Amino acid sequence: MPHDDLRGFLDALDKAGQLLRVTDEVLPEPDIAAAANAAPRLGDAAPALFFDNVKGFTDARIAMNVHGSWANHALALGLPKETGAREQVAEFVRRWEAFPVEPEWRENPPWAQNTLEGDDADLFRVLPLIRLNDGDGSFYLDKAAVVSKDPDDPEHSGKQNLGIYRLQVKGRRRLAIQPVPMHDIALHLRTAEERGEDLPVAITLGNDPLITIAASTPMKYEENEYGLAGALRGAPAPIARAPLTGLPVPWGSEVVIEGVVEGRRREFEGPFGEFTGHYSGGRSMPVIRVDRISYRTDPVFEHLYLGMPWTECDFLIAANTCVPLFQQLKADFPEVQAVNASYTHGLVVIVSTNKRYGGFAKAVGLRVLTTPHGLGYATTVIVVDEDVDPFDLPQVMWALSTKMNPAGDLITIPNLPVVELAPQARTPGIVDKLVIDATTPVAPDHRGTYGTPVRDLPETADWLTRLQALAARR
Amino acid sequence: MPEPTNYTVCPRCECPRLEHVHSSPVPGVWDVLQCARCLYMWRTSEPARRTRREACPEGFRLREEDLAAAVETPAVPPLRGTL
Ligand SMILES: [Zn+2]
Repeated sequence: MPHDDLRGFLDALDKAGQLLRVTDEVLPEPDIAAAANAAPRLGDAAPALFFDNVKGFTDARIAMNVHGSWANHALALGLPKETGAREQVAEFVRRWEAFPVEPEWRENPPWAQNTLEGDDADLFRVLPLIRLNDGDGSFYLDKAAVVSKDPDDPEHSGKQNLGIYRLQVKGRRRLAIQPVPMHDIALHLRTAEERGEDLPVAITLGNDPLITIAASTPMKYEENEYGLAGALRGAPAPIARAPLTGLPVPWGSEVVIEGVVEGRRREFEGPFGEFTGHYSGGRSMPVIRVDRISYRTDPVFEHLYLGMPWTECDFLIAANTCVPLFQQLKADFPEVQAVNASYTHGLVVIVSTNKRYGGFAKAVGLRVLTTPHGLGYATTVIVVDEDVDPFDLPQVMWALSTKMNPAGDLITIPNLPVVELAPQARTPGIVDKLVIDATTPVAPDHRGTYGTPVRDLPETADWLTRLQALAARR
Repeated sequence: MPEPTNYTVCPRCECPRLEHVHSSPVPGVWDVLQCARCLYMWRTSEPARRTRREACPEGFRLREEDLAAAVETPAVPPLRGTL
């Protein structure tokens, strides 16, 4: 059963033994972030955390690490919590086939219960804001889905965007936003600024888990995230109209913040401990004016810790980064078998493929660099044979060990675009990229001495099943 | 717990212009302060490494020239019809 809101999912996590309630009094800092920093280290079945006894607050409710393990990610997709990463990616691929499942408008959203407007729209009155890492410039909202429209084509639902961007709290009614140039909201903002206008936005916090997964999926510009949320749910995603901006927002959100990105204005932002495991420097970035806050009574503040991988952020953007890359490659190259872009939002991408003819694997690797997401991320692409599982790193290392000859298998391309947060760039935003061909050469590429490969014994698969059954009965 | 009045400069950039942003819902437990220059914001109950100039690690300190050198991201585009 899909969940219509965050609370429903927290209950489901609780029932599955995947919610840890911290009932002792904790300090807002550094306790909550430190606990969320630690949680994923409990392993693939790490639980979500729930805090409701935070010093100095009277009714703070803070959920952390909600997507922070493969078990929680599986439950978000409605799968058994033991489902492995590779199987979850495969299921994600299957559900994408139903895309788009159009959302349904639903009345009486729970966030309409309370409203603050104008000067009363004080973020601190609604949210128990907390800082994550020592060097962060302020408190941040980093798990909110931000809704915006293309100012040149506002009725085009595909060009709407629902995306997760880091938002620095700069005052009671002020936020900063980081629109990475490769992301859709940056296109919306550029259009608004070319027109000399502000960009209206709705910032939705505490969403159902599939809204968050869809919002953090690197979809194409004209693909609607609600259509993906519906495909993942297997039912239309419920939405409602935000009262001030009219933007379509999730029906089940805990908090809806409305306002505008102020056009043609930049102001100091950051630093922030980022998904790369490094602090971003401080930069001059756009500013949001908050005009209205709508919220459920006693809202749950959902927040995300990120730091040196793996943290919750990595679990959230692992499967949903693999799938669009796979779909886009497969469209041109049906030989492609699987894509693993789970590492640091796809700064490294591993692709397994059949070879059409000699040199083909290199062409597949180069194509990764020009997919919409690859443009801003993929810095190293490793291409492996069709019988190598890109999610099995020992197999990938075997391919690198035995198939890759630097003499002809490393292609570097200078000065390609990359997100400015990528620390390895000499000039932020520009980096040399590398394709590693770790596939077996096929004709007319006759390099190497590849005789007869060792295959699994024909009886191995049966024995695997037999041993698993024996182990389970032990 | 230190009183907000004990804070005289921004822990990060040493600016003396501080603003009071918010007080704890339970009275007297903590306050949220902000630097008027670099916009750094902190809660008075945070560890000294985040709240006290003398304890702020070198790598997190900010100078006026760092603020001046901040790159515009994304750059403001030209207005339509002005090219
Ligand atoms: Zn300062």
